[in-house]
Amino acid sequence: MFEDLGKILTSSEYMGYIWQGFGTTLLVTLIAVLIGLVLGFIVAIIKIAALNSKWMKIPAFICSIYTTVIRGTPVALQLFLMVFSILAFPGFKPVAAILTFGINSGAYVSENIRAGIMSVDKGQMEAGRSLGIPWTYTMVKIIFPQAIKNVVPAIGNEMISLLKETSIIGWVGSTVGTLTFDLNAASGIIALGLGGAYLAPSIIVGCFYLVVVYAMVLLIKLVEGRLRKSDRR
Amino acid sequence: MIAVKNLYKNFGKTNVLKAVSTTVEKGEKVVIIGPSGGGKSTLLRCMNLLETPTYGEVWVEDKLLTPVDPYLHPEIIRLSSTYKRMTEGGATDEEVIAEIKKNDLLRRFEGRDYASAIRTYQKQNTLDVNLARRKIGMVFQHFNLFNNKTVLDNLTLAPITLKLKSKAEAEEQAYALLKRIGLEDKAKVYPSTLSGGQKQRIAIVRALAMKPDYMLFDEPTSALDPEMVGEVLSLIKELAASGMTMVIVTHEMGFAREVASRVLFMADGVITEEGAPEELFENPKTERLKDFFSKVL
Ligand SMILES: Nc1ncnc2c1ncn2[C@@H]1O[C@H](COP(=O)(O)OP(=O)(O)O)[C@@H](O)[C@H]1O
Ligand SMILES: [Mg+2]
Repeated sequence: MFEDLGKILTSSEYMGYIWQGFGTTLLVTLIAVLIGLVLGFIVAIIKIAALNSKWMKIPAFICSIYTTVIRGTPVALQLFLMVFSILAFPGFKPVAAILTFGINSGAYVSENIRAGIMSVDKGQMEAGRSLGIPWTYTMVKIIFPQAIKNVVPAIGNEMISLLKETSIIGWVGSTVGTLTFDLNAASGIIALGLGGAYLAPSIIVGCFYLVVVYAMVLLIKLVEGRLRKSDRR
Repeated sequence: MIAVKNLYKNFGKTNVLKAVSTTVEKGEKVVIIGPSGGGKSTLLRCMNLLETPTYGEVWVEDKLLTPVDPYLHPEIIRLSSTYKRMTEGGATDEEVIAEIKKNDLLRRFEGRDYASAIRTYQKQNTLDVNLARRKIGMVFQHFNLFNNKTVLDNLTLAPITLKLKSKAEAEEQAYALLKRIGLEDKAKVYPSTLSGGQKQRIAIVRALAMKPDYMLFDEPTSALDPEMVGEVLSLIKELAASGMTMVIVTHEMGFAREVASRVLFMADGVITEEGAPEELFENPKTERLKDFFSKVL
């Protein structure tokens, strides 16, 4: 095993795969997180707005179909469905894959945001409304700031899950040099090169994941601490 | 004046308010008493539309806050196809209207004349609920101060957000209000650091910062430790003496008797008895009220 580790670490070809895969993992996660945040925020707002406005009832119903289906089926299934069926256009594979992770993440993010908003005492909204402040203003000025400290840690954890979930992106075909060649795919190609020895490449790739996840955990703690300090209760 | 007309409120299958009508005139201090679960809070919250009535109308001065309730308007009922069909059968106007009201015969679609009459009436009389609420302050049992805002910001948020005052004007007013309740030194602190009595007094002046014509109080002292009840009640009495029109739900019978110009006794979703405080407290007429007094006095 140590021999294999040495081989990988000294081979510019193998390390090249790993760095390239690492880049893919980070990039795919980042784009998916952004899509997920935007989508999740919109969906959460629509669902919350439906409590106030009857015009939002139908959009909110569509949104709950979305969150139910996405959270009720495996992400691997969603990935294959998107890449090989719904968005099976030539050369579109990486885009379809990244979109899948974004859409998947959006469902979870929306539930985190919605739960955070619902956790704020409903007397806060009533107080705002009783003063004649419109629903939207009360939401933005009173409810969101109180919801955020519940939402940030939950979304942080969702991002960590997402980073790890992207490790299946290579399952739809991991050609070197494309945006579906991630860390896990790099591990696979190196293992083949070593005659099927998965242990050493898995350890190295595992360390990359661990370091990133640990950095994210620290970052979440930091932000959480900040929010708690400014938590004026 | 705030008038509720034939108000019904159902939560699912429970009828919480049943045909409640009353008018709160300018300067009146109406105190609502009654057993818990009787619908007191619901009635109060219908007055500023925090609850939407199922049937009936809420008026503030000459403006309508709720949708039109056709059952309150015979001239609108007469335009309905149901009315037309029933009168063709030979029944008199009075009979038909009584019958329609009694059996809730109006449907969603009653022809074009009817629909346009409702639309016209609504357009002519409706006041936007946010505008109405500016004139109707509300004080809650659990204070509901904005947790993420300082005391000062609690007092200035609404006047500034609604562009009624500049920041400087709003803050000047806020300090004056805080001075009135002796809490100027709390301007920069967050609500969590305050006692219940302080929170409630600040909640009251937060409502006053909108210069309301009416104040609604929903059990303003029920969540307070006994030693803090006095400070809140005396602020409310002071406000009453200044001529504010108020509706107060309370379990403080001594206070009710002292401050009320009229007392409503609510039980099971109806105003069971009402009158001047002396009259009601000395000579309760209904068994229900006698029974209630025997438990609380
Ligand atoms: N949002 C609600 N949903 C369902 N039931 C409610 C709601 N609000 C009040 N009720 C019910 O309505 C009844 C009257 O409530 P309320 O007006 O709060 O009475 P009171 O203030 O006199 O104690 C109670 O039985 C209560 O359970
Ligand atoms: Mg109540």
